[in-house]
Amino acid sequence: MEFAGLVNDIQASAIGEWMRSSLKAMPVVEATHVLAATMVFGTVLIVDLRLLGIPNATRAFTRISDELLRLTWWAFGLAVVTGSLMFAANANTYVINTAFRLKMLALLAAGINMAIFQGATLRGVGGWDVGVAPPRAARLAGLLSILLWVTVIMLARWIGFTKGYNFVVPDDPNIKFDF
Amino acid sequence: MEMKKKAGLFQVAASLALVAGVAATAPAIAHHSFALYNMEQTLMFTGVVTRVNPDANHLQIFFAPMNEERKNVQRGEDGKPVIWAVEMTGSAQAAADGISVGTFPPGTIFSVGLHPLRSGEKAGARVNPGSIYKCPEKKPPAPGMQCDSVEGHVTIGGGQLPGAAPAR
Repeated sequence: MEFAGLVNDIQASAIGEWMRSSLKAMPVVEATHVLAATMVFGTVLIVDLRLLGIPNATRAFTRISDELLRLTWWAFGLAVVTGSLMFAANANTYVINTAFRLKMLALLAAGINMAIFQGATLRGVGGWDVGVAPPRAARLAGLLSILLWVTVIMLARWIGFTKGYNFVVPDDPNIKFDF
Repeated sequence: MEMKKKAGLFQVAASLALVAGVAATAPAIAHHSFALYNMEQTLMFTGVVTRVNPDANHLQIFFAPMNEERKNVQRGEDGKPVIWAVEMTGSAQAAADGISVGTFPPGTIFSVGLHPLRSGEKAGARVNPGSIYKCPEKKPPAPGMQCDSVEGHVTIGGGQLPGAAPAR
């Protein structure tokens, strides 16, 4: 199935219809999405700041990341579910929105940054877990992570202000202009 | 002295209640200004739906306005249909009123009044209160008329077509 058809099917799904027509669904789902995103960014920020040595290196990095990142994953899962519900409500509009596309790219970049950190940089954590400044690669990963997540949040808000007007006439045989 | 103190407390409580009441009802009336629309001007259209954007904040219907004869849609110099958009309440409230992707599929002929954007872009806010009328499928009204004149039309919103000029 082609991509446009898949997106159209998502919008036409029963979940999409429910999200559009329920007076309570969108406000509740959107508020939950914001709360989940807040939890993701809040916990990630604390871990990233620790990588940058803020406020200091007296607490073990692994202890902070082990305690917080499990919350991050729960919150991220909730954000994905609520975000998908919001997407389903108006998929055809979101998929051509530049801010939405950039947000997805920023999310992907944040994921790649985290994967590289977890897969490579973190292997040597024994040498810098506590009491010493993390290596340059770890600090860079922390800084990149903060920048990317701030970008995700900024773009997420941007979506709401950039949906604008789509005056393009779709190629639809049901539209008759002459009678 | 005690009476004065009690009266003062009552005034404070009453003021707080008033502020809370205004704060609670204001968003329901309008969550933003309508300054971007020319609320003094009302345009009346009968047109063919090209797409519906079921936005959570403001549902938009895009349409090609019909000419006065109601035989064709208006076209630009390039020969392509001129497209306008009418915006209204959020998709959920609009669906509750009977306006949704499902009830306004592409090709639907309908009549609506709108307050145009001051910017000159071909879009505007739905006149509210004011009805939207859907013509029966592929049955445009007679020349110069709106969908409310076509037998079998569907009325959405109750009331009448907004008093508007010029008719389009």
